[in-house]
Amino acid sequence: MSAAGALMKPRFSDKSFRYQLIAPSIFVLLLIGVFPLVYLLVASFQGITMIDNDTSFHGVSNYAALFGDTRLWEALLHTILFTAIALPLELVLGLMMAQLFIDHMPGRQVFVALLVLPVVIAPIVSGATWSLMFDNRFGPVNQVIGWITGEEATLLWTISPDLVYPAILAAEVWQWTPFMFLLLLAALSAVDKSQLEAASIDGAGYWRIFFRIVLPAIWPVMAVAVLIRGLDLFRLFDVVWALTRGGPGTMTETISIFTYVKGFQQFETSYTAAVALLIIILLSVVVILALRRVGLAR
Amino acid sequence: MADLKITGLHKYYGSMHAVRGIDLEIPAGEFTVLVGQSGCGKSTLLRTIAGLEDISSGTIEIAGEVVNDLAPRDRDIAMVFQNYALYPYMRVYDNIAFGLRARKTPKQEIEEKVQRAARMLAIDHLLDRYPRQLSGGQLQRVAIGRAVVRNARLYLFDEPLSNLDAQLRDEMRGEIKRLHQELDKTMIYVTHDQIEAMTMADRIVLLRDGRIEQAGSPLDLYERPATKYVAGFLGSPSMNFIPAQLVSQDNGLAVRLSDGALLSLPADRGNRFSRHRDREVTLGVRPEHISRAADDALRPGVVCHEVTIDLVQPTGSRTYATFLLGGVETVAELKAHDVSAPNETVKLALDMNRVVLIDPASEEVL
Repeated sequence: MSAAGALMKPRFSDKSFRYQLIAPSIFVLLLIGVFPLVYLLVASFQGITMIDNDTSFHGVSNYAALFGDTRLWEALLHTILFTAIALPLELVLGLMMAQLFIDHMPGRQVFVALLVLPVVIAPIVSGATWSLMFDNRFGPVNQVIGWITGEEATLLWTISPDLVYPAILAAEVWQWTPFMFLLLLAALSAVDKSQLEAASIDGAGYWRIFFRIVLPAIWPVMAVAVLIRGLDLFRLFDVVWALTRGGPGTMTETISIFTYVKGFQQFETSYTAAVALLIIILLSVVVILALRRVGLAR
Repeated sequence: MADLKITGLHKYYGSMHAVRGIDLEIPAGEFTVLVGQSGCGKSTLLRTIAGLEDISSGTIEIAGEVVNDLAPRDRDIAMVFQNYALYPYMRVYDNIAFGLRARKTPKQEIEEKVQRAARMLAIDHLLDRYPRQLSGGQLQRVAIGRAVVRNARLYLFDEPLSNLDAQLRDEMRGEIKRLHQELDKTMIYVTHDQIEAMTMADRIVLLRDGRIEQAGSPLDLYERPATKYVAGFLGSPSMNFIPAQLVSQDNGLAVRLSDGALLSLPADRGNRFSRHRDREVTLGVRPEHISRAADDALRPGVVCHEVTIDLVQPTGSRTYATFLLGGVETVAELKAHDVSAPNETVKLALDMNRVVLIDPASEEVL
């Protein structure tokens, strides 16, 4: 290669050099991402438990057992239930809050900062705090209800079967609505104001403007926000663990709690590996479908 | 009957007084251009008419109805925005049909009206496209189509051509004017471009600092400006302003420039100015009223003056020559070959029938 050519062509355009650059990250990815996955797959075909490190091939027995495990399917149902209620709630509340804050007003920044506070709290801390809030004898929630109704309230928020779902959902929605709010506020702020003005002059009312102009404009951001929150909710653990540990009984046990209990309290390692794989497959399908639907995976 | 009547309109943004008392009547079917520099309140005025901004005081009437508290959608107006403001997630057809659908027009009628508007603007082949697939000029046509498809009481244009390149702008200017002639609707058009104002308007309303500086037909404002501001704003290159003194000469009047040159005023004009005798004035001369003096006799009221040319700017059809007159840089619009090079000394003829005299203190035209 001539001297001029060497000058024109920087070294790193060299193909092998590029691979050298990404090699460390590929290695780390293999180590912490692919290796455990492969190991998980292997373990799910073995018979490892707390008392028996049985690494012989057990066929699909673990997978067969999945189908008969009602506690697993119930946990999945609980998870879906939490997601199906909390996700729309967070979305709608977040969107409504964002709409309120879209117009600039004095003190807007302070309000936004305050509203976003719950997001910066660690979920387990938030769960522990809510656990105190919901305490049946000393918690402020019962206290306030007492003030309103005029008689002492002793609602068993974390124990009573009728109240555990509302309690967990309240804590969850409280913590994560601001996340939706923040993303949707950014999306709404980016909507071209003159389009809204043009539509209002064209004679469109609030809802027509919202559904025809605002919603299509914020749709990509909204879809990503829903996807992120949906995945988070599917792995819901901290708040539930702090409030009920999946109880009463297994009434609020989510798939994450089930996996944790099976794997790290009862140490049914191989069976848990099968459960984990099932969840990974389920989520992958959902995510891929969702990305296609939103048009992000094109 | 006035189609739009504005009385005592004020608009504050916080402590900023954007519109400072506008009284304006616009007759039905007229094409009115609101023109002025940026920040003069012209866009704000238009937006208050549209209802996009509320007003601080005053009244706005459309076809005899006070619309102060009506939402934009209830004012029965159509508007074209500077940035087009097309709905990006709708096809061109749906963009144009949006207003008709919002007003619950029957489907058949929508189809007919959209097709008619699209044909009128030569965009009927683009109806299935999305805005992102269109060029600037096409976007502007769609935006205009969206406005004219509706049978509104009032059509508002907010600097619709300022995002287009020069050639396209000239073309669209003519098209909007033709559209007005075809539709015979009341239109209000905001621009900062005095050429747009001159070429398109039935009537120009020239705004300055939130007030109307002068209103009238384009030629009226051009030939009989009320103030120095109006005189300087309209016309390109703009009017030359030369400090001078109004003095007696023989039995008439003349203006004396700072270099001592005496330019006599025609007798009929002299009478009008006689009461300002011996006062400081500003002489306003339009570049096109200065020409190369011919050798033969001058027309009455035209005076000769010898100058040395500083700068020559040919445009092809005309040549702009810059020189010092009364100590001030002055531009003359000459014929293409009247001057050829700087430093040339030429005899120029000033048409004193067309000059304006301005009171330097009040800046009003005498």
